Amino acid sequence: MLLKPILLAGKGEQFTIHSLGSNHEEVSGLQQLGCFEGATGRVVSGPSNLILQIGNTRLAISDRLARTIVIRSQ
Amino acid sequence: MAPRPAAVQGAKTGHNQEPEDGSIHIPTIALAGNPNTGKSTLFNGMTGLRQHIANYPGITVDLSTGFADIGGQRYRIVDLPGTYSLHSRKPDERIAVRSLFGTIGAGHSGRTGDSGPAKTGMNNKMPEADELSPPDLILNIVDSSNPDRNLFLTTQLMDTGIPMLVVLNMADLAREKGIDPDPERLERKLGVPVVSVSATERSAAGLIRDAIAGERFARPKPLGWRPEKALRKAVEHLVEHWVRPHSGLPAAAHIPEALRLISDEHPGTPFHDTLPPPGMQKVLEKAVDEARSIIRQAGGNPVAIEVLNRYEFIGGCTSGNATKTATASATATANANAKANTGATIPIADRIDTMVTHRILGPLFFALVLMLVFQSIFTWAEPFMDLIDLVFISSGMWLSANLPPGILTDVLVDGVLAGLGGVIIFLPQILFLFFFIHLLEGSGYMARAAFVMDRFMARLGMHGRSVVPLVSGFACAVPGIMATRSIESARDRFITIMVLPFMTCSARLPVYALLIAAFIPPTVVLGFLNLQGVVFFGLYMFGILTAVLAALVLNRMLPKEKHRPFVMELPDYRMPDWRTVLSNTFDRGRVFVVEAGRIIIAISIVLWFLASYPKTDVLPHIQGGDVALVEEEVEEEIEVDIDVDVDVEMGMEMEAEPGTGAEAGESAGGRELRNSYAGRIGRFIEPAIEPLGFDWKIGIGLITSFAAREVIVGTLNTIYSIQADNGSEEPLRQKLIGDTHPETGQPVYTIATALSLMVFFALAMQCMATIAVVRRETGTWKWPLVMFLGMTALAWVCSFVVYQVAGLLLG
Repeated sequence: MLLKPILLAGKGEQFTIHSLGSNHEEVSGLQQLGCFEGATGRVVSGPSNLILQIGNTRLAISDRLARTIVIRSQ
Repeated sequence: MAPRPAAVQGAKTGHNQEPEDGSIHIPTIALAGNPNTGKSTLFNGMTGLRQHIANYPGITVDLSTGFADIGGQRYRIVDLPGTYSLHSRKPDERIAVRSLFGTIGAGHSGRTGDSGPAKTGMNNKMPEADELSPPDLILNIVDSSNPDRNLFLTTQLMDTGIPMLVVLNMADLAREKGIDPDPERLERKLGVPVVSVSATERSAAGLIRDAIAGERFARPKPLGWRPEKALRKAVEHLVEHWVRPHSGLPAAAHIPEALRLISDEHPGTPFHDTLPPPGMQKVLEKAVDEARSIIRQAGGNPVAIEVLNRYEFIGGCTSGNATKTATASATATANANAKANTGATIPIADRIDTMVTHRILGPLFFALVLMLVFQSIFTWAEPFMDLIDLVFISSGMWLSANLPPGILTDVLVDGVLAGLGGVIIFLPQILFLFFFIHLLEGSGYMARAAFVMDRFMARLGMHGRSVVPLVSGFACAVPGIMATRSIESARDRFITIMVLPFMTCSARLPVYALLIAAFIPPTVVLGFLNLQGVVFFGLYMFGILTAVLAALVLNRMLPKEKHRPFVMELPDYRMPDWRTVLSNTFDRGRVFVVEAGRIIIAISIVLWFLASYPKTDVLPHIQGGDVALVEEEVEEEIEVDIDVDVDVEMGMEMEAEPGTGAEAGESAGGRELRNSYAGRIGRFIEPAIEPLGFDWKIGIGLITSFAAREVIVGTLNTIYSIQADNGSEEPLRQKLIGDTHPETGQPVYTIATALSLMVFFALAMQCMATIAVVRRETGTWKWPLVMFLGMTALAWVCSFVVYQVAGLLLG
């Protein structure tokens, strides 16, 4: 499976998070919300105004932050 | 099981009344959990209080305290702001963490940190919260429908070693989603008791009470989430070499602080409102380096290891899958998605989210929602307002007819009843406004609105999270400013606080409604819109536009800061709980009536006196025969420009021939008011407000409205009731329409005057409560003062321009 930034994932695409590449504070914020390396989810809407469903958590993520999340498509 | 907190033999004095004997220790129970997990609902159920609740993260930003008697024991119950982690830096979440640790800087010898923009002097230090000791018991509220993410905080709370009871809340919603967290399995894994409830069911608080009464809580084992050996050793090393001897933190914070230092990119930055004591920075850095080395030597990543270990443990608690989180639900959503891809049904929430968070449609939808709300307020409230008006007019007439004439009747009818009635009439509009705001909050839409507006807010130097406080500002600036605590960046938060008072709060509503009803015709525009509603909406837009411009100015003035990217949990869409919506709405209505009523009654009584005395039908010194003085005084005070026929020798009431002076054509009541103390004050400031189109009567209203905006309506009602000497009981708006300048016979109120007055109220800082809360949140008097002077000056200039331009255009 190819690695790619989550911004390139299509609507409805399922993924596993490979890495969170932004600074510590942002990574920490994402992790607290259940968005950590190895977590699985799907893209609800995007790529602009990206919404992810990770587990039972629905996350709204701005484009800039989304660029730092690398996923592996399932 | 942990020993029960020391028993208290306090008398049962009723809920939420602290026993008079302050020496008695009351055990404290803290409700802690992620945002939007139903903590406040349970708090209300346990204490009988009515804390505001809603369906979006960050509604509780301060500590709420109540009391409950459970099993013969009195407890202090503290509802903490929701937090995702003990390491969060957001102001509201820090309040929760500080309360859990009982720290609030106690025992620290360090310097105060300041991470805020230099020019504001504001930082993200906590506003003054009630000082608390660590709680005796933590009720950890967990959303049963999302246990994996919620248990992240649970495992952190375990590290404090404070006795815990885990409450799996929203069990009904979890069942609907097909999720069963299995309380017994969870209890075994966590090592603390677990109960399952649904906060919206009346039995929920009872189940928790029973669990507490039955001592179903236990002291958890710190690091009971089984971190890798290297991490455990690193934590022990850091606690031993830095946290315990040097940090000044209480025992409950030792392990959480060690874990934060290991994973934090900048461990030396202020976190517990302090910096390391001078000279100790190197000791800290050395201890952290050594701890991280222990992890690295074992092949781990110090920054990531804690999170991964926690989620591994949580996976084992909920599904037995050691590494993947929320596998069951991911499978469920994957199945839903697979159906969607094959043309089967797309979940309704996904469809709605795609639409309401669309880059272009989303903001349009948000604007449409606001417009519909404001239109509804104006249209639907009308019959109820007429009814209230009728009640007050009838009451006034009845009192006048049945009470003996005299001062008491005058105070009651012309002072209290007129002042109160003038404001209470707008209660229906305020109730409708709060109803819609609570409806939006309860539906789960507000978080989406924050998200779609983030891009726009960033251009103004604010954050998407600023949207919720700003929308709260439509109701009242005070809770809106408090709600800015959910904004992480001190700069973003500062700008939001400074522009928030421009949002059209409910206190402006009576002023707008009165003037619009009086001077804007209810004609239909565009085939379906009421012009009055359109103007009403326009005023709200004007408030928003002014806030936007003010934000742009502040954004340019303040030192630049990198915009913090938006990430927010979106709550599930829910049909609002009508009981909660109505309860919140009527609570706010009650607060409006009680708070506004209290001020208005006091001001109305004082105003009645000031507007009724001295009686000028027979000036006291006239009877003394000081003719020259009287003639001089009359000329001076009444600004007579033509002869005034004052028969001083006869001691008769002052009279002027129609059209011959300032009081010509003015009723006796009008003359009396003009020469009263209030009239003199109004005329004293008249030169300053005349260019805005305001006469001295409006001037009196402006002065009283600096206590609270809505007071001007009561003031005008009182003034016009005193002025009306023919027993007129017509509504205030009719009195305004009919009021004329005694000199010219021209109407006092024109459309230009009404527009100018509305603009003044849109921009001026006329709210003591807002000034006080800005002082509290910014920690200085500088900014409330800047806000007051700046807004008032802006209001004067804009009103002047509006009045002059409108006067030219409309004649």
